[in-house]
Amino acid sequence: MRYVLERIAFSLFALFILIFITFLLSHVVPGDPAIAAAGPNAGAEKIQLIRERMGLDQPFHVQFLTYGSKVLAGDFGTSWFTHQPIADDIMRELPPSLELVVLAMLINLVISFPVGLIAARYHGSSFDNGVRVVAIAGAGLPIFWTAILLQQKVAADWQLFPVAGRLSFAYRDFEGATGFYLFDSLAQARLDVFLDLIMHMFLPALALSLLFTAVGVRITRTSMISEFRKDYVVMARAKGASEARIMFRHVFRNGATPSLTVFGMQFGWMLGATVLVEEIFGRPGIGRYAVKAVTQSDIHAVVGVVLVVGLVFVISNMAIDLILFAINPRKARED
Amino acid sequence: MPGAASATNASRDDAVLKLENVSIALSATRTTMVHSVSLSIDRGEIFGLAGESGSGKTLLMRTLFGLHDDAIIESGRMTFKGAEISSSGHRKRVRKLLGHEIGFVPQDPFSSLNPTMRIGKQIREALYLGKGISPKSGEAGKIALDLLDEVGISEPELAVDQFPDQFSGGMRQRIVIAIALSQEPSILVADEPTTALDAFTQRRIINLIIERSRTRNLTVILISHNLELLRQNVDRIAVMYGGQLFNILDSGEISEGAAHPYTVALFNCIPRKDMTLGDIRSIPGEPLSAGYGLTGCAFSKRCGLRQDVCDSSLIPVNSALARSFDACLVKAGRQA
Amino acid sequence: MLLLALIGPYIAPFDPLAIDFRNRLVEPSWTHLLGTDGSGRDVLSRILYGAKLTILSTVTVIATVLFFGCILGIFSAFVGGTIDNFLMRIADVWLGFPPLILALGFAAALGSSLEAAILALIFSWWPTYARLSRMITVDILSKKFVASANALGVSTARKVTHYVLPNAFDILIIQVTLDISAVMLAISGLSFIGVGAQIPQPEWGAMIADGRSFTSKGWWVVTFPGLMIFITAMSFNIIGDMLRRELDPTLVTRH
Repeated sequence: MRYVLERIAFSLFALFILIFITFLLSHVVPGDPAIAAAGPNAGAEKIQLIRERMGLDQPFHVQFLTYGSKVLAGDFGTSWFTHQPIADDIMRELPPSLELVVLAMLINLVISFPVGLIAARYHGSSFDNGVRVVAIAGAGLPIFWTAILLQQKVAADWQLFPVAGRLSFAYRDFEGATGFYLFDSLAQARLDVFLDLIMHMFLPALALSLLFTAVGVRITRTSMISEFRKDYVVMARAKGASEARIMFRHVFRNGATPSLTVFGMQFGWMLGATVLVEEIFGRPGIGRYAVKAVTQSDIHAVVGVVLVVGLVFVISNMAIDLILFAINPRKARED
Repeated sequence: MPGAASATNASRDDAVLKLENVSIALSATRTTMVHSVSLSIDRGEIFGLAGESGSGKTLLMRTLFGLHDDAIIESGRMTFKGAEISSSGHRKRVRKLLGHEIGFVPQDPFSSLNPTMRIGKQIREALYLGKGISPKSGEAGKIALDLLDEVGISEPELAVDQFPDQFSGGMRQRIVIAIALSQEPSILVADEPTTALDAFTQRRIINLIIERSRTRNLTVILISHNLELLRQNVDRIAVMYGGQLFNILDSGEISEGAAHPYTVALFNCIPRKDMTLGDIRSIPGEPLSAGYGLTGCAFSKRCGLRQDVCDSSLIPVNSALARSFDACLVKAGRQA
Repeated sequence: MLLLALIGPYIAPFDPLAIDFRNRLVEPSWTHLLGTDGSGRDVLSRILYGAKLTILSTVTVIATVLFFGCILGIFSAFVGGTIDNFLMRIADVWLGFPPLILALGFAAALGSSLEAAILALIFSWWPTYARLSRMITVDILSKKFVASANALGVSTARKVTHYVLPNAFDILIIQVTLDISAVMLAISGLSFIGVGAQIPQPEWGAMIADGRSFTSKGWWVVTFPGLMIFITAMSFNIIGDMLRRELDPTLVTRH
């Protein structure tokens, strides 16, 4: 119980740091926001007026508190380029991105765990060496480049997948209650829409996941290798357990724990990396929204994205840690 | 030696494990690590295997019982309960015996239990693998409780639902032994089962193993670097050094000076710290295949009895599977 | 790679910024080994100039975070107690945030330019080195030889220069090689989405962004700069991996 409370306290602390960073980003780093807001032709009086209206004449900590309470209440300000409340924008853009990241994460897990486990089992074999080299090389892949190449080759040239978008034109009127179309389409029993969504998501998710998968395979392999060296594996063999039983019942579960922490972090990083793929594949989402906001110099919209991605990150890490704690309290605390 | 041959005949019928000129090599480099070991262990015998770390004792045993991935049986015959286990596909064959005929207790009690599996489940898994008792059955649960009680775990009902890290090293080792015993093997190999433990716990664990051996006619191979511990507890001791088998003798004979010079040196250094043999070379650092490992006695460089013959001749091997054996070239020369 | 960055500009056959509309999107040939881009600029020359730009930016980021991160980390380790705890908690939180998004935030605040991207990455990357150097320092300070140095009254500065830094060198160099590829990917990524190097600049990520509109007509404009990023990042990963096997005793395999 103490661990759970500590972990939650740490997450709250992380949230505080997050708000502080975004406060710096939006209020301190860009110089005087009043001058920016007033426009180039404003006189000194107007700037002063705006400064008072924006609360910039207040002391630093008061400004921070005002900002913090607004953020916590879900008020991120209004976007300069969509003219909508930023919080609404983000709530609309977040579901497609989360769907994409979940699929990318699935690809990552489906590859990382078996490949890492088998490479570790046959440590030193040519398969293992091949995996190691590919994983090291793969960690140097520029995501946006892979995305363009995949789009050009697999989608445009070979026509195996749609080139861009979230849904085919035929389904343009599809709407869902949650915004998570994968979920919505299933809820409405629209299997055709569901498959269409997957077809559109596959290439971007693949492009997004390759770099992370390379890292995932490396981490899983390393932790599994160290597990295979422990005496409980000898013990399991001595008990007469088959290699398959040893791999899946014994080693996998122990070796997966450190990898899970990394995968928890990767979830947030992938969400951040959507800025590199969503634009290319013309998908709606928080990444494309952030890129647009940056090019439009809409600092508050960018900061909103930073906040939300950071929040997802804090939550996913806490969730992983608490899950690990629930599985095995002692081991989680040691790690 | 005609006397030795007749002793072999007497023991042969009752032998559980026979090794005839078994050599072990690393599979990657084909470096021979253990040279031509021959011995025979009787049913119900408590047999000690002594040697410092690097002497090859653990490597020998782990390879024989299919628990070493990086080493193979290079040559020689292994016979288990009268049936030869051929070297081709040896690991696969011997693995079939693990879990019901052969039990093995690894060295480190802190890592030999799966940290994320409850104790009860680890015992029930052993029962399932060794005797086909369904893990969910009440029978498995009852046997697990009885075993934990037998090895001296208080409140077994609580223990079965706990994870390994909730127990001390000594308790964990007892649990490991309970797991091995649950499968009722005919031979139990215990690799330094007490090294990590305090003297009092050591005593309890050894007694537990001996007790089981006496009541169920269980054959035990106790591997240890501690010659004194073996002398007090086992029937016969085999002494290894530098990958060579030097000596097999009744534990009572050690102090009588009839032993191999190395055994004597090892025994003499036990109580006196200033005489430790820590500077003696161990296997991994030394290219034995190119050095004295093949011609001559591995111990010659440090031996007080050394003569020229020690470096030029092959040391004798126990091909006749005699009950006692001495590989000292100097002593053999004197007798002849 | 560093060599390429140094001599690249001198062996480049063309001016990387010279626009030649008569020679737009020329396929790779003997004159233009890697073809020309949508404005008729020679791709090979741009890649060679870009090597300097990309690698210099990366080195700037790494050198800066290495310097300040280590100062902070070593300071934290020597001070200890609440301050140490607090600083490291901040580093923990900071370290975890997706670096790309954090850098995007900083770049948005600072305005779009390569300098802003570099600064942004410095802001997002410092905790790695603060944590690492703090860990190493704490480890070394707990060693016996430092205890005897304490008894002799060795000054803190001397402890840092004579005990901590020499011992930290191996681990830091491994981390640096592994981070070079990550930072390079981040810089080119930021340039690609338009908040780093701006388009006429021959930065590899920006070149890809520029070439995107021609991918169907001129595959080489996108392929070669990307390949360069990939090869360079991969080389540093391989070097890092080799160094790690060589220098880090915890990873030595048993045989």
